[in-house]
Amino acid sequence: MLGILSNSAKSLENIDDRLMQCGVSRRAFLQFCSSLMVAAPFGLSITDKRTPEEVAASIGKVIRPPVVWLHFQDCTGCTETLLRPSHPDLGDLILNVISLEYHETLMAGSGRQAEQSLTDAVTKYPGKYVCVVEGSIPTRDQGVYMKLAGRPAMEVLQDVGGKAAAIIAIGSCASWGGIPSADPAPTGAVGVADLLPSKAIINLPGCPPNPYTLLGVVLQFAADGTLPELDHERRPKFAYDRDIHEHCPRRPHFDAGRFVRQFGDQGHREGWCLYEMGCKGPDTHAGCSTRHFNEIPDVWPIGIGAPCIGCTEKSIAFRVPMFQVIQIHTTAEPPLTYAPIVAPQGKVSPIATGLVGLAAGALAGAGYMASRKFSDKPRDDSVPGADPGRPDSDKANPESGPRE
Amino acid sequence: MSTRNDIGSTLVNHWQRGVPVDSKTVMTPVLLFCAALAAIGLTLAVVRFLSPLGPFSGMNDAYAWGIWKTFNVMTLTALGSGPLAVGMAAWVFNRHKLHVVMRTALVSGFLFYATGLVALGFDVGRAWNLYNILLPWRWNLHSAMFEIAFCMPTYCSIFLAFECLPMVLERFYYTRTDATKAFLRRIAPRLRRIYPFAITGAYILPLMHQSSLGGLMLLAGDKVYSLWQTPMLPLLYLLAAGLCGLGFVTVALCLGCLRYRRPLDISILSELGSLLSWVCFGFVALQCTDLAVRGQIAVAFRLDRMSALLLLQIAMILAPAIALRNKIARETPHTLVDMSILACLGGMFYRFIPTTIAFHPANRATYFPSTPEFLMASGYIALGALAVALAVNYFAVLPGDLEEWNHMFRRVRRSEPRVGGAQ
Amino acid sequence: MSTAMNRRQALLGIFGLGGTVAGAIAAPAAGMEHPAHPVAAPDAVAMLYDNTICTGCKACMPACNEANGLPADTSLSPGIWDTPSDLNSKTKNIIKLYEGDSGAPDFAFVKRQCMHCLDPACVAGCPFGSLEKNQWGAVTWNPSRCIGCRYCEVACPFDVPKFQWDKWDPRIVKCEFCYEQRLKENRQPACTEVCPTHAVIFGRRSDLLAEAKQRIASSPGKYFENRVYGEYEAGGTQVLYLSKVSFQKIGLPKLGTTSLGHYATKVTSVIYKWLSGPILVAVLLGAVIKRNWNRHEAESAELEKRTGLPEQL
Repeated sequence: MLGILSNSAKSLENIDDRLMQCGVSRRAFLQFCSSLMVAAPFGLSITDKRTPEEVAASIGKVIRPPVVWLHFQDCTGCTETLLRPSHPDLGDLILNVISLEYHETLMAGSGRQAEQSLTDAVTKYPGKYVCVVEGSIPTRDQGVYMKLAGRPAMEVLQDVGGKAAAIIAIGSCASWGGIPSADPAPTGAVGVADLLPSKAIINLPGCPPNPYTLLGVVLQFAADGTLPELDHERRPKFAYDRDIHEHCPRRPHFDAGRFVRQFGDQGHREGWCLYEMGCKGPDTHAGCSTRHFNEIPDVWPIGIGAPCIGCTEKSIAFRVPMFQVIQIHTTAEPPLTYAPIVAPQGKVSPIATGLVGLAAGALAGAGYMASRKFSDKPRDDSVPGADPGRPDSDKANPESGPRE
Repeated sequence: MSTRNDIGSTLVNHWQRGVPVDSKTVMTPVLLFCAALAAIGLTLAVVRFLSPLGPFSGMNDAYAWGIWKTFNVMTLTALGSGPLAVGMAAWVFNRHKLHVVMRTALVSGFLFYATGLVALGFDVGRAWNLYNILLPWRWNLHSAMFEIAFCMPTYCSIFLAFECLPMVLERFYYTRTDATKAFLRRIAPRLRRIYPFAITGAYILPLMHQSSLGGLMLLAGDKVYSLWQTPMLPLLYLLAAGLCGLGFVTVALCLGCLRYRRPLDISILSELGSLLSWVCFGFVALQCTDLAVRGQIAVAFRLDRMSALLLLQIAMILAPAIALRNKIARETPHTLVDMSILACLGGMFYRFIPTTIAFHPANRATYFPSTPEFLMASGYIALGALAVALAVNYFAVLPGDLEEWNHMFRRVRRSEPRVGGAQ
Repeated sequence: MSTAMNRRQALLGIFGLGGTVAGAIAAPAAGMEHPAHPVAAPDAVAMLYDNTICTGCKACMPACNEANGLPADTSLSPGIWDTPSDLNSKTKNIIKLYEGDSGAPDFAFVKRQCMHCLDPACVAGCPFGSLEKNQWGAVTWNPSRCIGCRYCEVACPFDVPKFQWDKWDPRIVKCEFCYEQRLKENRQPACTEVCPTHAVIFGRRSDLLAEAKQRIASSPGKYFENRVYGEYEAGGTQVLYLSKVSFQKIGLPKLGTTSLGHYATKVTSVIYKWLSGPILVAVLLGAVIKRNWNRHEAESAELEKRTGLPEQL
């Protein structure tokens, strides 16, 4: 694998050729493509409504984009996550799908050789390479807390990131500062978007994020030249538009009020909802509840019985204590989780009420006025409402006596 | 034919025949208002017909019947049962005096029914399937709704219309050509031969459908509050129709005399009042006995909202019953009118309550008519009122003294002189 | 003249009597249509719902929508979720939650849909037989006969039929046991098929009643009042309920054991059997009226001769 890496900088070839060269079987590649479709079902243009064969064909034609991977204040967890999946060997595929020009963890070289690789990549493919940033960037004290080849991370970012076609900030640290930015944030750690706001940046927060998210973004960029639709925090919507709570397999337990009260209790054994244990799922946008990790079902925090810590969210991760229960604010809050036994129906229109009142009043008034016109005298058959002194009264019975 | 009277002995018979009314202008401001309201109502009805029911009414799934069914049909046709009540009194129980007020009863009854049927026609949601009424193998003979859907239009369009025919033919006879006169003279005997059978039908049919209107609420079971849900509903609705019919005819006659400046006929009015009083007694007796037999007396005196409603309704019918037993009261116009109005309102109240106010579906639901719904209902009523006013002007309906009329009828076009005259 | 009158009256009287007798004989037969205690047909199907098993997953709701081609009711959520608050014109089947009285942490789900009564009130009231009790006891609605009078909504003690108030061609929407699309093809309704925990199951009514009673017997005290709701309610229904809380708490109304159709037609079925009542009254009234009419005519003729004024009818 390392040998292949050292050859990768030589030429840019398309993925199909590269895979053939590296002996990756067609079947393995197809499997990878179907995994990609499962991982990014909503909104990735390259996988939208296609079969794995079609996806494979279109990816196969893609010229492998050069990628420069920078590490700043990181734990290397994001790189680790890319290497975790075991079938197929994703490390192989990543490196064959993209042309990894510089990666401090994976590259064979070190020291001056490594620095040369970086310079080469930046000068050979200006405006064409994708810069992946892992780790936060220190800003306090002129950013001395992380230096690469003697240059502060801020400067490296301006240089390498500035010349990139697009920057992918992988991980929460690169997206918004991550763990180093937690109180008291001694290094003044910030994310990439805080320093290069006008650049085309895609944030893939998570600690670590799912590797397929990165792959989907990179492949779309390589195939289309476009970036997936982003939300207001520059996160791709296909992976971050919904929160954990919406797709959590333990949701029926939440809805039914079955909560774990203590780690190890009966509910915990039965896989009940972890909300009362401080699960941040309702406020955390990520795809973990559907995609899980390591390509093994249920291998993800909640799946193994640990409440979500909200690692993608700047306002939650490393700020709100892990076991503190949060309020639930979904952007579209259903008023009732369930229909009540008795639901209200019907409304009373104030205008109609007024009209009915008016009509009833008018009729009552008219009725009263009319009834008053009738005589109180028994056997008085004269014309009702006629005044005795008026000419009409000749219709009255002339024999009737004087009115009292 | 008037008889001079001594004070305190026999009363003058001011009402001898139906006589057309002689007002200077037919379309007074009030009638113009009625016409406008009717136009609005009918326009809305046509628009409603071409669109879903939802936006035009306040009805919902809990209260699926709005005021068109429960008020315009179930309540107002009680007021329109004048032909039934007065007719049976006159033709079956030989109250000869009442023949002269039959036409008033018929006209008002016909128009209550006709406008009620119009309301019903615009209330059904799938009117294009009404043809099923003509396919006997599709009739559900157990359904009160079917009985009403078949019986009411038949009654109104055939029997009531036939009963109203004589007054229309009378006008034709006196205002048209000699050829028409000859034709009418020829067919008159044939019409007379059918007449007794027609009026037999005209009493059987409303006996059936007025009681079926009560039968409608039987199927609702406990959704109708216990004070009103009873197997006696059909009979009570029928008695309510009887008392509303009598009461309304009384009120209509008196208001007609007030408006068109005619003297009252105390003996006839007193007769109507007496009949009204007996029917009211019968109604209250039946309702109270029914409450006692069903063990609802305690519930009736709980003095909560429903109980208060019931006591009010009974009072509104009992008061006229008692008051009008007194001969002097019956012969005092003011008392008679007030008590008749009260009885009508009480009867209407009784018929309306089980359908809406005492109808509690399982959910927390409310119902109040929406503005278009109310305008349509009022429009239908205004149409009826307008038609009655026109009828009394152009036909010999309202009873009056004989001497003032020589069979002259007013022309449709105002400017032309009156036409007709007995030969 | 008077003898003729008497003879005619006598004849009419005999007919009237005969009619009454015929009516009296025929009257018991009238009870057949709405018997006091309806009996389920041997092939009557039913659903048994047990809310001690139901997890409230609501899988039955989208399954029903899909099987019946109904849209989601998203009016209460901003166009996203299917959250009807009750059965309505888009919802034939709904899961509701009873959340317990304050203080007591008690909850229960309930699945509501048409109860397919043995003697349905809606069928009894429908003027042209649009709602009818079909094969296997499924109560179905026929668009070609419905006039949209909504009497079924007024009659149903369970408030099941819903009207499409927002459509120009309004239908009555209610569960029909998936009659056309599934029952006829020997498949069970969509909701019972999809239920993951078998909280609601489908089968022959007699079998399910036995199953329910067996569940009660094997866990006494677990089920409210140790009985099945729907065995006798409103004469018996083809949806049976077992509940851990009171039936009224989950919205099932308290009902007697006779059907509403029976209550409503107790008297009228006798009076109107073969129209004997109306015919009898017609004959009697007709006789009286004819006699009075003849006398009235005689008097009017005499009056006209005297005064020249024709009679005003």
